[in-house]
Amino acid sequence: MTNSYIKQDILIKAENVSLSYGEKTILRDINFEIKDIIRPGITQGQVVSLIGRSGIGKTQLFKILAGLNNPSSGKITLHSGKPVKPGDMGVVFQNYYLFEWRTIYQSLELAAKKNPNFKGHDIKKEINKYAEQFQLSEHLSKYPQQLSGGQKQRVSIIQQLLNGSSFILFDEPFSGLDVLVLEKITNLILQVSLSDEFKTLIIVSHDIETAVSLSDTVFVLGKEGNKEGATIKKEIDLCSRGLAWNEDVRFIPAFKETIAEIKSVL
Amino acid sequence: MLKQIFLPFGKINRQLFIALAIIQSILALVFWHFASNGLVPKPLKVAEAFFTLITSKSLLDNVIISFILTIKAMAISILITLFFSYLSVIPFFKTIAQFIVKCRYLTLTGLIFIFTLLTHDGSQLKLSLLIFGIVPFFVTSFLAVIITTDNQQFEICKTLGYNNWETLYEVIVVGKADQVLEIIRQNFAITWLMITLVEGLSMSEGGVGTMLIKYNKYNDITNVLALQLVIFVIGLVFDLILGNLKFWLFPHSKLQIHK
Repeated sequence: MTNSYIKQDILIKAENVSLSYGEKTILRDINFEIKDIIRPGITQGQVVSLIGRSGIGKTQLFKILAGLNNPSSGKITLHSGKPVKPGDMGVVFQNYYLFEWRTIYQSLELAAKKNPNFKGHDIKKEINKYAEQFQLSEHLSKYPQQLSGGQKQRVSIIQQLLNGSSFILFDEPFSGLDVLVLEKITNLILQVSLSDEFKTLIIVSHDIETAVSLSDTVFVLGKEGNKEGATIKKEIDLCSRGLAWNEDVRFIPAFKETIAEIKSVL
Repeated sequence: MLKQIFLPFGKINRQLFIALAIIQSILALVFWHFASNGLVPKPLKVAEAFFTLITSKSLLDNVIISFILTIKAMAISILITLFFSYLSVIPFFKTIAQFIVKCRYLTLTGLIFIFTLLTHDGSQLKLSLLIFGIVPFFVTSFLAVIITTDNQQFEICKTLGYNNWETLYEVIVVGKADQVLEIIRQNFAITWLMITLVEGLSMSEGGVGTMLIKYNKYNDITNVLALQLVIFVIGLVFDLILGNLKFWLFPHSKLQIHK
């Protein structure tokens, strides 16, 4: 597997993002850039992890990135230079929330109808294609309450893929999963990341090892000294360390060193 | 299993639940039988009157009159409720919706004269009073449903690129449609309760309320209780029909109950 790559255009940029509730500062001076990674001969999107301890403000940053909450100051911009707004980024929530009153097919149809790329296309065909790819064909007429957690997560992911956003945010996708399901989910995320060059997945997690094993870039969210509010304490380029796009990354000594490095920063 | 009957949060199966209901009903009837002192008729006498009543044509005619009035009032009330409840998410209409909720505290009796002046005939008076009585309860119930909507339902709409109107349609109009039927089911009892009051205002048209008033006037307690039993049974049947209609129209609501 070749690891040659170049980083080009900025896809997402966070500039001086801060969030406060009254006197309490939750996030401060968040600055980072996510760039388009190009690998010659390979269609490869970006997988970025945002790692931090529980309660540090990851969900708050997640909502700001998704355009669901506004920061107190600063801004998140996309490659077009426009500030992010709701709908620009697909979101897979931690509990894989789906409309309980809609069948799986209807939920997917609602998402696909909002995708301008599907105008004039046979939406049913597109839904069936994804459902087959994600092994959900037999569940399309069911309601979310009839699906397992793993199935719901797959539906949430397809929903966002059909919606057509290049950016998908995952909120704690590995939380509370057993080993087998975890493996399935990681494969699924890799599968999605390979679907398009501009596809950018942002994983917000406190599961360091799993997140790092999937990512090409890691941002560590934490507090600095006695300063109030969390900020990006470290950015790790896993591509330059030879830790990206490698199935056996966990067996590489540099992987363990990187995990130890992240833990020391948290 | 018997231990579970008296245990907080104890779980019993359906058969035992039905058996419990039957035993408790029998005990209540036995108590009623021995406790009645001549003024209150014994259960057997009420049962006899009940069967005589349900085979009479006058009951059917009066029930139909009340039922049509109830359905009309409920249909108009639900339209008013939906209008103001859906729009309550728009700040301009929120105040109006909340004012309607507070109208629960207004008594109908005090407003009868004003309504008499505003309406043309007895039929209109009954209908408008019923609507005025029902709407605040409907709106209260439906606003409670809207207020307790999981924020994630709105968030998922936003992340899919829905605008505010589309979100309102998906989450409130479509998403809460099953709740509308549930509200009708729960509040049918209130309508049924009020019908006896409003029918007494214009007795020439008949109705179960008129029948009750007449029986009460002549101290015919046996028939009053028999008619109460009829009203009770109609309420149960309506409850059952609406409950099943909800599961048939909105299959997911059954899954939520199972969950």
